Amino acid sequence: MEVTFKDVTLSYDGKREILHHLNFTIPEGTLVSILGPSGCGKSTTLMMISGLLAPTSGQIFFGDQDVTKKDALARKVGMVFQNYALYPHLSVLDNIEFPLKMAKVSKKDRKKKAIELAKLVHIDDQLDKKPGALSGGQQQRVAIARALAKEPSLLLLDEPLSNLDARLRIEMRQEIRRIQQETGVTTIFVTHDQDEALHISDHIMVLNQGHIQQFSSAETLYDNPSNLFVAQFIGEPVINTLDITDFAGELDGQIDADILQRTQKVGIRPEALQDHNTVANTLATITTKVTRSEKYGREKNALLEFHGQRLLTTEVQADVTDGQELPLYLQRNGVYLFDKDGVRIFGGDQDA
Amino acid sequence: MKLKVAMVLRYVILILGAAIMLMPFLWMLSTSLKTQPETVKIPPIWIPKHLLFSNYVNALKEAPFVQYFINSVIVTTVTTLGQLFTSILAAFAFSRLNFYGKNILFVIFLGTMMVPGEMLIIPNFVTLSKMHLINTYGALIIPWLASFFTVFTLRQTFQSVPDQIYYAAKIDGASDWHYLWHVLVPISKSTITAVTVLQVIGSWNAFMWPLIVTNTEKLRTLPVGLQAFTSDAGTNYAWLMAASTFVIFPMVVLYIFLQKYIIAGISKTGLKG
Ligand SMILES: Nc1ncnc2c1ncn2[C@@H]1O[C@H](COP(=O)(O)OP(=O)(O)OP(=O)(O)O)[C@@H](O)[C@H]1O
Ligand SMILES: [Mg+2]
Repeated sequence: MEVTFKDVTLSYDGKREILHHLNFTIPEGTLVSILGPSGCGKSTTLMMISGLLAPTSGQIFFGDQDVTKKDALARKVGMVFQNYALYPHLSVLDNIEFPLKMAKVSKKDRKKKAIELAKLVHIDDQLDKKPGALSGGQQQRVAIARALAKEPSLLLLDEPLSNLDARLRIEMRQEIRRIQQETGVTTIFVTHDQDEALHISDHIMVLNQGHIQQFSSAETLYDNPSNLFVAQFIGEPVINTLDITDFAGELDGQIDADILQRTQKVGIRPEALQDHNTVANTLATITTKVTRSEKYGREKNALLEFHGQRLLTTEVQADVTDGQELPLYLQRNGVYLFDKDGVRIFGGDQDA
Repeated sequence: MKLKVAMVLRYVILILGAAIMLMPFLWMLSTSLKTQPETVKIPPIWIPKHLLFSNYVNALKEAPFVQYFINSVIVTTVTTLGQLFTSILAAFAFSRLNFYGKNILFVIFLGTMMVPGEMLIIPNFVTLSKMHLINTYGALIIPWLASFFTVFTLRQTFQSVPDQIYYAAKIDGASDWHYLWHVLVPISKSTITAVTVLQVIGSWNAFMWPLIVTNTEKLRTLPVGLQAFTSDAGTNYAWLMAASTFVIFPMVVLYIFLQKYIIAGISKTGLKG
């Protein structure tokens, strides 16, 4: 089901606004991640979609139906909570059956359906256990099965993987993707882990301090960050950020004087600092000094100094020694300029 | 070595404590099997010469104990269930719902816990007599249908259940009513069992109140019925103790079976009984 927010604002106490004028549409059948740092309002957004929390102002639509005034009971979404919130007194089977029981499905049908779902999430060998006797990953699957039981047209997941270890997280996010694709249910996935969001979703909504920073595909977020926050939030290692005043004319002539005039910050992706000249793509050349180079696994990083600022590159090919001078070629498609409000004015698709 | 001494000491103290607690109980059992002269003998004796089991038969013949027993069962059951029902609803309201004046009301109720029960006897009596309920089951039951101690204990437990469980139930299509009875109450089973048992014991053993508001044999409960052994000519201790044993027996059995829950429930809410 398509979900639309129209100018939705929320304040818990009537004084401080947590979310400011949110406007977005989540297309039917897609998996969308809401990504942002802790406290930015992700869970709050999810609570409003589910109907557990009413917006202070604005409207929420499911398809073209206005559901702003409807409560959670009426909205019929499925939801997985951050700590799973399984019913501790019920067995796995009874947990999955619970929503069906509430919907007055006959005993026989709901058992059949519950077992079917347990199979889908690979938990059918644990049916008689109580949630307390399950591992985190197993509890999570039960929570997903329960959320899917009443065949919701919308599935909400609030940081479902945050309690799992690194390996299980990767396994489970593939699992969630598989289940989403098998059932075709529109899914909204909250996380503060960019890696998770990048791997799982069709679209990502980046949220910060109650404002939507950008809502687009993972690639677009990386290639065309709409502002400094997104550029810094997405990407590992983190983008290099310099003040325009750190440059001494290296960019002059390459970029419109008018744009340079308005620029405050310069963002350079670590992979956009190459040690060999690829003429077609080179924007400018800078001279740096190597402070430290390190290598682990397939990765090779070099820490550099440039006009007193630190830079990181992942692209040094030749062997370099610490303290050595090194000319680097700035690659056009990894350099962004931001104005005083942090808005991108150069780089990416809106190249000047 | 030091550890061992501490251990021995701990057991000695526990055993002493248990002995002190058990003493009246054993005294009751012993006395219930004595002859009349043996009960008042100085120095007291613990083990009677002949075990006089006939005391039990005679004691139960002395008064209509079957009637008393039925009365006790009725009063205890209705009081306990009624009180549990009102307390669960009130505890849910205080822990989960938002209503005008909730906190003030809670504080006022909390204040009532500080009023000693004895002080309420006269006002309650006056109220009931104005309602013409003296000498009815109503008098024995109605004043006890609400207990803030129970409300408070349950509220503490209900509040310890995470909000997300409530939200999950809402998402799963459960109304507040459903959530309360199908999720919250089962989750809080051990506390509910504990307050239930405490209430059952309290109701079963209640003496003062039933004595005051009833004066017919038809409505007498067991503890009041025990008075039958006290007359102007003195008290027949052997029979009294035999009947007392009979009165206490169901509670002892109940306690032994539910001990686990009672202790878990009380230690969980951090309240004493
Ligand atoms: N019930 C509440 N009452 C008042 N303020 C709240 C409440 N819940 C959350 N907030 C505030 O709203 C803001 C957003 O909270 P929210 O839980 O939506 O963040 P989040 O993005 O989910 O963070 P996290 O990643 O830590 O879960 C925070 O500043 C938080 O303090
Ligand atoms: Mg959250």
